[in-house]
Amino acid sequence: MAGNFKILYFAATTIYTGKDSESLSAPMKLGEMYELLEQKYPGIKGVIQGSMCTVNLDYVEDHELVIEAGDEVAIIPPVSAG
Amino acid sequence: MPPPTASVPGALSENATFSDAAENIHIRLTYDSLSLSTTADLVRSPSAGVIVLFLGTTRDTFSDLPVMTLSYGCYVPLCLRMLAMIAREIKKKHNLYGIALTHRLGEVGVGEESVHIAVSSKHRKEAWLAGEEALEEVKKRAEIWKREVFQDGSAWRSNRDGERGVRV
Repeated sequence: MAGNFKILYFAATTIYTGKDSESLSAPMKLGEMYELLEQKYPGIKGVIQGSMCTVNLDYVEDHELVIEAGDEVAIIPPVSAG
Repeated sequence: MPPPTASVPGALSENATFSDAAENIHIRLTYDSLSLSTTADLVRSPSAGVIVLFLGTTRDTFSDLPVMTLSYGCYVPLCLRMLAMIAREIKKKHNLYGIALTHRLGEVGVGEESVHIAVSSKHRKEAWLAGEEALEEVKKRAEIWKREVFQDGSAWRSNRDGERGVRV
């Protein structure tokens, strides 16, 4: 189904994006999303490579995974609670 | 048995809690100052002989550089879930009566508390061990990010690398 998904940015990724969230077109493969983000925000790749990713609150790694309309995606940089 | 209750905020600056009364697991993410007695009372039990309470306070230096202010960001719904998972693991492993994990969000004054951990158990040894292990797991896994503001700029910290982190 065509539409949009929401992507959330935290911590170091916001240095590149300048925003906490935005809408991107769905469907899109995870690998395609990473390429799109580097096009939109040159240099963000450096942070993403050290980060993890969630789709609808589940951690995902498969670059072939298809993000659907209505999904919530988040880039999770290395954490620093405490 | 009452179901676990969770309140997940819509706005970014609202407090969020998760409590499983039957399991005696309590998670708090809050923009307010932390209260020692509130955290301890969450795990108080007539069956317990011990409550171990850990307070993490914010330091005024990082690698000898003065920290002016600091703040914490969080992916709240995911973090609530992660903290509940950590609490369940630690409670089971150390045979606790109760466990409370509380983390402060937003700006935190230097010297104030950013994290509280309370565990209750029958005897002291498992409580000491559980408290220490809970803190290590929270630092390693909770989806919370610390931003330190120095005199010459600010940086997002990473616990994994133990370095100053990515400069803003």
